[in-house]
Amino acid sequence: MAKVTAPISQRPRWQNIILNRLRNPVHLIGAAALLFLSYMVIWPVLRIAWSTFIWRRQDMRLTGEADPGHFTLYHWIRVLASDMSYSLFYKPLLNSLAVGATVSVLSMAIGCGLAWLVTRTDIPLKRTISFLAVIPYLLPAWILSQAWLTFFKNGKIGGTPGILQSLLHVSMPDWLSYGFVPIVISLSIHDSVFFFLIVGAALSSMNSQLEEAASVAGASRLTILRRIVMPLVLPSILSGFILIFTKAISSYGVPALLGTPVNFYMISTMLYSSMRSRLTTEANVLSLTLMLISMLAIYVNHRAIGRRKSFVTVTGKGSARTLTPLGSWKYPVATLASLGMAMVAVVPLLVLLAQSFMLKEGTYSLSNFTTHYWWGGSDPAINTGEKGAMQNPIFTLALKNSLAIAGIAAIAAAVVGVALGYVVARGRLSWLGRAVDQASFLPYLIPGISLAALYISIFAKPTFFLPALYGTMTLLILITVVKELPFTVKAGSASMLQIGTELEEAAQISGASWLTRFRRILLPLNRKNLVSMFLLVFIGAMKEMELIILLVTPRTETLTTLTFYYAEKGYEQLTNVILMIIIFIVMAVYAAAVKFGKADLTQGIGGQ
Amino acid sequence: MLNRLHQNKPAKTVLALAAAAMIMTACGQNADNGNASANGEASANAGTNANGQAAGNEAGTNAAAGNGSGNTTGASASEESVDALYAKAKEEGKVIVYSTSGRANDAAETFMKQYPGIKVEVSKVKSDEMMDKVMKEQDAGQFNPDVIVTKEVSGAVEEEMVKPGRYIKYLPEDIAPKVDEPYRTQAEAYANYVEFRTIFYNAKHYEKAPVSNWWDLTTPEFKGKVYTADPLSSPAFMDLFTTMVTNSDDMAAAYKEKFGKDIELHGTENAGYEYIQELFDNGLIVLKGSDDVLDAIGKADSEAVGLAVSGDVSKNEENGWTIQPIYDIKPKTAVPDAGYFFLANKAPHEAGAKLFIRWMMGETDAKGAGLDPFNEVGSWVPRSDVQTKNDISFESLNLWPFDGEALYNAAPKVRDFWIKQK
Repeated sequence: MAKVTAPISQRPRWQNIILNRLRNPVHLIGAAALLFLSYMVIWPVLRIAWSTFIWRRQDMRLTGEADPGHFTLYHWIRVLASDMSYSLFYKPLLNSLAVGATVSVLSMAIGCGLAWLVTRTDIPLKRTISFLAVIPYLLPAWILSQAWLTFFKNGKIGGTPGILQSLLHVSMPDWLSYGFVPIVISLSIHDSVFFFLIVGAALSSMNSQLEEAASVAGASRLTILRRIVMPLVLPSILSGFILIFTKAISSYGVPALLGTPVNFYMISTMLYSSMRSRLTTEANVLSLTLMLISMLAIYVNHRAIGRRKSFVTVTGKGSARTLTPLGSWKYPVATLASLGMAMVAVVPLLVLLAQSFMLKEGTYSLSNFTTHYWWGGSDPAINTGEKGAMQNPIFTLALKNSLAIAGIAAIAAAVVGVALGYVVARGRLSWLGRAVDQASFLPYLIPGISLAALYISIFAKPTFFLPALYGTMTLLILITVVKELPFTVKAGSASMLQIGTELEEAAQISGASWLTRFRRILLPLNRKNLVSMFLLVFIGAMKEMELIILLVTPRTETLTTLTFYYAEKGYEQLTNVILMIIIFIVMAVYAAAVKFGKADLTQGIGGQ
Repeated sequence: MLNRLHQNKPAKTVLALAAAAMIMTACGQNADNGNASANGEASANAGTNANGQAAGNEAGTNAAAGNGSGNTTGASASEESVDALYAKAKEEGKVIVYSTSGRANDAAETFMKQYPGIKVEVSKVKSDEMMDKVMKEQDAGQFNPDVIVTKEVSGAVEEEMVKPGRYIKYLPEDIAPKVDEPYRTQAEAYANYVEFRTIFYNAKHYEKAPVSNWWDLTTPEFKGKVYTADPLSSPAFMDLFTTMVTNSDDMAAAYKEKFGKDIELHGTENAGYEYIQELFDNGLIVLKGSDDVLDAIGKADSEAVGLAVSGDVSKNEENGWTIQPIYDIKPKTAVPDAGYFFLANKAPHEAGAKLFIRWMMGETDAKGAGLDPFNEVGSWVPRSDVQTKNDISFESLNLWPFDGEALYNAAPKVRDFWIKQK
């Protein structure tokens, strides 16, 4: 303490450097974040990586050479350079890369287009459009693929013919019905909301004086878009790009449903197969290759952003915002946008809702209407006496658990996202920022099941100051926060990049501690982002299944584990009821967030 | 000075963080050690596998010995009598069940009415995930479940869970004499219901089964009209094909019976592989799951056939299907896919677990309501005193035996072959 009170000028230079380092919140939070990530992400990944070099007892099934417990390169050779490699790895890899890249581009077009319309133009129906934009993400992705099949399927997979086929009496070609095209479209529609929210937040915080200045200087609208708007939102776009890319290459449900009929496999579907066939190490090798690919993508991203000095758009100066007039295009564009979105968002939702009230699926008559599946008692004639979903003895428990997990995890994830985003953005030129950025990205690529399995061994026993978390809600919340890190950190850093350091510096000069600065400056400026993060994590957590199925115990059942039970029994309507309840909850939370969090994307930051 | 005061805060934070960091690293090491020891235990387990196996066998022989004397003594096992178990189970208060099937939930409801004071909690988990879950739990010294209800995963349950003593065979003495083989002594455990994969057809389109030999599916008549659930994502489907490979002589004989000449192999190892290759050459269509297959052939009039689980026939009405399974195919209809019952190793509520298993078995006389969810159309209860709901009895089903060890070792190779067909 004596040293601290000594006059600054007398302090040796090296001490100054160290003190500055320590006082710098980037280093502080960065160190804490790195510790957290090391334990929760890097350590599990290293364990996965290590396991790929060791023979296991299981491997005696593959080859007689297996020598359990000893070092081997067999698994890597098998995947990368054996007669299996082409079918097992390279072909699925090419499919994964093609799907990932195309989905990214398509969602970018959809998401950015909508974001621009809603934030920067005078289009009517803004609220409706931004509300509709979130709905596809509310639905599980496989519902969109199911909807696609309902319209576009041809005779190949039998059953009732597709709607277009029965109307037009033309068999749809295979490439339109299954495989690459529908997978890309389903995933893009489902995930474009990430682009919409991330880029929307960036666009709405942009000062339109920049555009006006260019306009005054005689630049055309296209030039403004290309030379001013694009560079400013580039970090957000690149973030979104990587995010969607990794989401797409790791998705399972959609490619499984739409890909298998035409033998279209991706790494993710191969990986699932290895896992189910108890070839765990092979699955680990496959997921590691996905991780390597994404790390490469992030590295390229860094090269792209790192070269530019600054993207600051939020400064201490007032920011007036003028909207681009759409002129005579105003109404046609609004109609087109809302109709298109209603098609992909509302129609599947309504079909689902209607189905939950139908006694027999697919019979459209009033006599077929029933509320049995919602709150009916036991009727031996229906579903062998299964009660309505809300009468299920564990329904209340599951509802409470789901709300608690999703609610707490979403709040925690948003705060962690902003804090880590701060480190990534402010420390993007230091190794610390980059390390946090890279590590926070891995969770999307660790298959949920593997991560959960590792968490059982890490958290089943008390380790030093951490109690045994396995079997508690805390672990479910923790894993949800970790799994969503890629999104929250990306969103957090993208918006932090836009906030000028001078605001913080000003506060620092007037003596505000970092916590005060964070609470009074950074959080308010990031409010919209926080609410977006909260919302998406909340939705993700409400829908999450794969991640938690291994970690739930009877006391920690959730609504999604309930749907798992119903789906296995083939009770489609009951599954739909739970799905609808989840969607209602999310919509209510969304509406509340818009109302109380003032998170309306049609308003600019600081525009309240 | 004011400035300095503020600067104190970060200083404190640094201290706190440094402390946290130290604790964390210590904890990391601790975790390291913990894991190492857990791994050590696991490998020790593997090492003493023989012992575990011996113990398992002992339990098995005990049960078998019990069978021998079981006819004469009902009372000798007074410890295991229903009343004694119930009294103990009430003290334990609850039973934790890990189950692959929702049938256990139905049985739990009737159980709690019959035996008030015991709460049954059922977690539904897929068979392979259950293996991971239980393995990790037990390695970490947590013994959570009491009862395991699971299907096989190509023999992996037996090799990785039963032989190392993680899942323990349990068959009450008074019930054992009534259980059909192989589920009394030969199989890895007692199975309360047996299903299998077979060929389904649309009963509206065909008056009688259109297929009587597996090789029928390779003929031009069925070109592009055969569906299967993806064996790459459902191991039980792969088990059927793997069994054809391990019993390739049967497949070759059936080929001769169908076409009147010896089978000619086109670059494959045996008749089983040849069958898979010919299926693909004949335009086999792979769909995601069993339900997708039945939707494909059962939703509308269709001349196609598909591979699905026999138990799915009970979902006919709910899903608006008109499908029928074929129960007599040459050389064999299928390989059984049994729903086994186990006690979990170191079950915390052992008496309750035994009582619940007895309940699901239908108790001594097979009249208990706990059996009802298992005795359904399309699945068979392998007990001689249980009346099946199917037209055909369990003994007269023409099935290959389930050879767990052979499947476990052959499955990866067949899977590789399947992947290469793509």
